[in-house]
Amino acid sequence: MSGSDHNRWSEDLAPYMLGALEPDERAEFERHMQGCEHCQGEVRWFEPALNSLPESVERQKPPPRLRQALMAEVRADARPQTRPERRRAWSWFSRPAMAFAVLVLAVAVAAGYEIGKGGSDGGGTPSVISTSEHGIDVKMVREGNGGTLHLANVHQLPPGKVLEAWVRREGTVEPVPALLVPDRQGQAETTIADMNGVDTVMVTEEPQGGSEAPTSPAIVTMSVPQ
Amino acid sequence: MEVRREKAERLADEELMPLVGRKDPEAFEVLFDRHGGAAYSLAYRIVGDRAAAEEVTQEAFISVWRSGARFDAARGSVRSWLLSIVRNRAIDFLRSKAGKAPKLDFDDDSALEQRPATERTEEEALRRETAGEVRGAIGNLPGEQAKVIELAYFGGFSHSEIAQMLQLPMGTVKGRMRLGLEKIRGELAEGLA
Repeated sequence: MSGSDHNRWSEDLAPYMLGALEPDERAEFERHMQGCEHCQGEVRWFEPALNSLPESVERQKPPPRLRQALMAEVRADARPQTRPERRRAWSWFSRPAMAFAVLVLAVAVAAGYEIGKGGSDGGGTPSVISTSEHGIDVKMVREGNGGTLHLANVHQLPPGKVLEAWVRREGTVEPVPALLVPDRQGQAETTIADMNGVDTVMVTEEPQGGSEAPTSPAIVTMSVPQ
Repeated sequence: MEVRREKAERLADEELMPLVGRKDPEAFEVLFDRHGGAAYSLAYRIVGDRAAAEEVTQEAFISVWRSGARFDAARGSVRSWLLSIVRNRAIDFLRSKAGKAPKLDFDDDSALEQRPATERTEEEALRRETAGEVRGAIGNLPGEQAKVIELAYFGGFSHSEIAQMLQLPMGTVKGRMRLGLEKIRGELAEGLA
C-alpha cells in the first residue's frame, strides 16, 4: 500500500479512537488495522492521550448512597454463589433432601463415567455442529443442557477489542458471561451453561470488558437445531 | 475466599481484579474507593445530571462485578478499562434517553450497529459540550480541536454528525481530532521527559 493510500486510514485513526466513526467505517478500519502494524502502533501511541480525557473532567464527589447501594448489591450477590432466581426455585428443598439429591447425582455421574469409558453411544453423547465463517472455523459441542463454543483460525484482534459470544433464546439476545480469548494459535472457546431454547449463537467484536448488548455486526452466526 | 479490607488496600488494581473475579466484596470495595470518584465525575460530565450519573456509575460497577474476569491486563490499566466502561454506559444512556436503544435482531446486521443520532439537536450537543469545565491537557487545546474531541468523546457524536452541526467538511473534523490528540499526546510525553 502506498503512502497516499494509507493517508485515508491515518485520517480515520483519531475518530476511531474517539468512538466517532460510523459503524461500517469502524468495522472497515478494524479490518485494516488487523494487518497494519503502523496503525496498531499509532493506536498504542495515542492511547495515553485518549486515557487522559476522562481524567480532564471536573471532579465531582459521588453521593455516599451510591457506595452504600452498590456495596449492598455486591455483598448480597457475593454470599450465595447462585443466581437469585435459581435460589428461589430451590428454596423449598430441605437440606436432607438436598443431601440425598447430591448423593444420587454423584452415583449417576460415576455410573455415567463408567458407561462412557465403555464406549457407549447413549443419550449423553455430545452432539457437534460446525461451520466456517469469515475464515473462522466454528464448532459447537452440545452436551446435556450446556455446550462449548470452539473457534479456530481467529485473527489477531485490534487493541482494545475482545470477542464476545451471544445466544438468542425466544427472541431475546443474551451475552455469554465468559469472553472468548484467542490463544497464540488463534483458538478460543467459551462455555454456554444453558442451551435450552437457544436457536442462534453469535460472536461479535466488542470493546474491552465486553458489552451488555452487541455493538458490532456478527463475525460468526450459527443456527442451533432444536 | 475473601481477603480482609486492609490486605486488599495494599494490592495493586491488577492484583485486585482476580479477586473481584472470584466475587470478593472487599477487593471490589477497594476498587470502587479508588476509582468511583473518577467514574462518577465522568458519568456526570457526559449525562449532565446527578441522578443519571449515579445510575450509570452503579450499572457500570455492577457490570464489572459480574464480569471481573474479563479484564485483560495486557490491554491497559484497570482504571482506563473501568472508565471506558463508564463512558460507554453513559453514551448508551444518552442514546436510550433519545429513544435510540439498539434493536437486537440476528437477522439484520445493521440493527446491531450503533444508530445515527440524527434526531439529536445542536442545542443538545452544545449543552453537553459546555456542561463541564474543561481541565487538564484538553483545556490547553485550541478551541476548535477541543470542541470536536469533546463532542465525540463526551457527547458520543460521530464525525459526520459533528461535521453537520458545525458545518465543516468531514475531513476538517477528522483532521482537528487528530491534531488535538497529537497535541495532548505530545504534552503527556513532555511531562514524562
